[in-house]
Amino acid sequence: MVNRRSVLKIGAATVAGVLVKMPVSGRSPSPERAHIAFQRAVFDERFAECRGFAAELHGAGVPTSAIRGDVAKLWYDDLRVHLRENRLPVAGLTDRPALFCLEELARDVGMRVIFRADHIIDQSGHTQHTAVGPASLAAVARNLPPEAGFGRTVAALFGQFDISEPRDLAAQKRTGPFSPENKTALVSWLIA
Amino acid sequence: MVLPPNVSEADFNAALGEFRSAVGADWVFSSDEDVALYRDSYSINWGEPEERVASAAVAPAKVEEVQQIVRTANRYRVPLYPISTGRNLTYGGSAPTMRGSVVVDLKRMNRILEVDEKRAFALVEPGVSYFDLYKHIRDRDLKLMLDVPDPGWGSPMGNSLDHGAGYTMAAFRDHFSSHCGMEVVTPDGDVIRTGMGAVPNSDSWQDFRYGAGPTVDGLFAQSNFGIVTKMGFWLMPMPEAFLSGTVTVPRHQDLDPLVYEVSYLEDLGLTGMPQYGSPVGQGAFGPGAAAMASLMQNGWPSAEAIENFVTAQKRPAWSVQLYFYGPEETVRATWQAAKRRIGKAIAGATFQDGEFLTLPIPKEKEPTQSDKPRLGIPALEVFNMVARNPQTANDPADGHADLFVTLPRKASALWESARVLFEAYKELGLPAQQNPFPTPFTYYSRCFWTGTTVPTWRDPAKNARSRALFEKVMNRCAEHGWVGYRTSPAFQDLLISKYSFNNHSLLRFQEKLKDGIDPNGIMSPGRYGIWPANMRKNRA
Repeated sequence: MVNRRSVLKIGAATVAGVLVKMPVSGRSPSPERAHIAFQRAVFDERFAECRGFAAELHGAGVPTSAIRGDVAKLWYDDLRVHLRENRLPVAGLTDRPALFCLEELARDVGMRVIFRADHIIDQSGHTQHTAVGPASLAAVARNLPPEAGFGRTVAALFGQFDISEPRDLAAQKRTGPFSPENKTALVSWLIA
Repeated sequence: MVLPPNVSEADFNAALGEFRSAVGADWVFSSDEDVALYRDSYSINWGEPEERVASAAVAPAKVEEVQQIVRTANRYRVPLYPISTGRNLTYGGSAPTMRGSVVVDLKRMNRILEVDEKRAFALVEPGVSYFDLYKHIRDRDLKLMLDVPDPGWGSPMGNSLDHGAGYTMAAFRDHFSSHCGMEVVTPDGDVIRTGMGAVPNSDSWQDFRYGAGPTVDGLFAQSNFGIVTKMGFWLMPMPEAFLSGTVTVPRHQDLDPLVYEVSYLEDLGLTGMPQYGSPVGQGAFGPGAAAMASLMQNGWPSAEAIENFVTAQKRPAWSVQLYFYGPEETVRATWQAAKRRIGKAIAGATFQDGEFLTLPIPKEKEPTQSDKPRLGIPALEVFNMVARNPQTANDPADGHADLFVTLPRKASALWESARVLFEAYKELGLPAQQNPFPTPFTYYSRCFWTGTTVPTWRDPAKNARSRALFEKVMNRCAEHGWVGYRTSPAFQDLLISKYSFNNHSLLRFQEKLKDGIDPNGIMSPGRYGIWPANMRKNRA
């Protein structure tokens, strides 16, 4: 579990322009509940980073849903129904096609991507992070270290996020569904 | 904020106020954040002044609200652009054809009004997606099969009105052709029903398409003559079984008789959509890439060189997968008949039995079922399959614009089109992907489609190059009479200019209709080249 203290530490390090080694797991004896109520945390169970992301948010009391690429069943049979009744934010760490589809589909319930961080992992496991969205999230996400473990850290960031923070229109429809060849393109995102 | 052309901010705000009165304030969207939801994710003008962005959106829940919106639009001359689900990516998505239009988002009109199992039809509203209709049918165990496009997140209504197509039998996969009956709000706010829907107390609206007198349904497809609010569709009775089989033929020239034999079966209604392939041609991206590059290095090869290449590769020149729907006895017998006929017509043809399934697919097996659209199951898996585009491997595009042209259903036309595209790419200094083994798209059973896709980006400079390529290829194809059947809004004027017989008399006729039906030009201005009189300036 990444705790509030470690997230704040990342933020402070980012402000100072210093990259810190991320805590990965088991550093906190007491899970903290997420600050906002999420409808769901969506993760692609094929990827370790996504599983770590889900475990972190699950520990913070957020219901999670696993996908394997295709979001159709999750959306049409489940998420859409609940979001029509209550538009609580949805968090995710998936591949690009899944986010692309969910972003298009979310228009049906008047929701949109308010934050996204692209995590491009090369064949050696080195990860490059870019992020657009509310300043507090984007600043930290852009400076995530290149090693494995960012999924848990992003989850912890989401858990501490203040939903009233000003948004950035540039987070919407940032890319298409396509990914670079020979790299793994994951995206962490918030739809609200 | 983007305003509609020739509309003052005061008038626009007054119109928005009337829209709010009509549908409720929660269903009129005018903030930048909300309007951005309607941007076309595959736009080839992303971020440029020419990007076709909406000024606002309004989401009515019933026909009367659509009528009110249309009347308000006439009062203030505000252009409207209706969408059903707005998911026809590469063809505009949810964005309007003309910048500044108000999107009429019909997502709240999402009722499945009737599904009749015995008469095999459905009557739906615009916001009903294929997933919705599929779930309705499955939940009730109705013995009906949908024909779905891929991806299946669009609506039967929107897809058919854009001349979309699916994968099963010809009678059903031409989605406009399988419609029966429409209800339309016309640009003056009136409501009409077509065919038997115009007859009070008729119970055959979804049984007989024509009624009496001129049939006007086609005016509402790829056009701007009204907002369709209900539409009926004929559905395929659920077949008892599905069977597939693969045919290969050895020589390049064998495609000609293969097309004839496959077409014979399909025109008799014995097979679903054939899937042509080329085991030799597929090598262009695999182990055979070097050999293919060698074949093409000096330009388009001779027929003799092509046959020698096929022989050397030791792989069949062509394949076709056939799909049969019906009772088990008939699908097995039809496959046997196909083997007999093709085996007799083409020396060296081989046959491989494929998948046999009893239908419907059990619900618990659906998630892992392959090739869902051929079984009438909507899916979004295609986005995962195309997630890595070999054309833009290290710098992935954000979308694509499709340029597919209509060819006669014969091998010679397919080969000629590949040669012309190859030479056009060469002339443009681009790597030509075409080779003598093109495989056709067969969505519409009586013709072939071929063509190319052009990447679209978030980068204006790259998009400028893509637009130039698209236009040059479209122009080159048109010189040979090969023209597209639908296209991105950025190219609709150009496409329609190719339908130029008798000094564009078809378009001039459509414009006369436009002037009479929509004198204020409020309905989807510019859609497929049909502009209102006051905006009609650049037509050839």
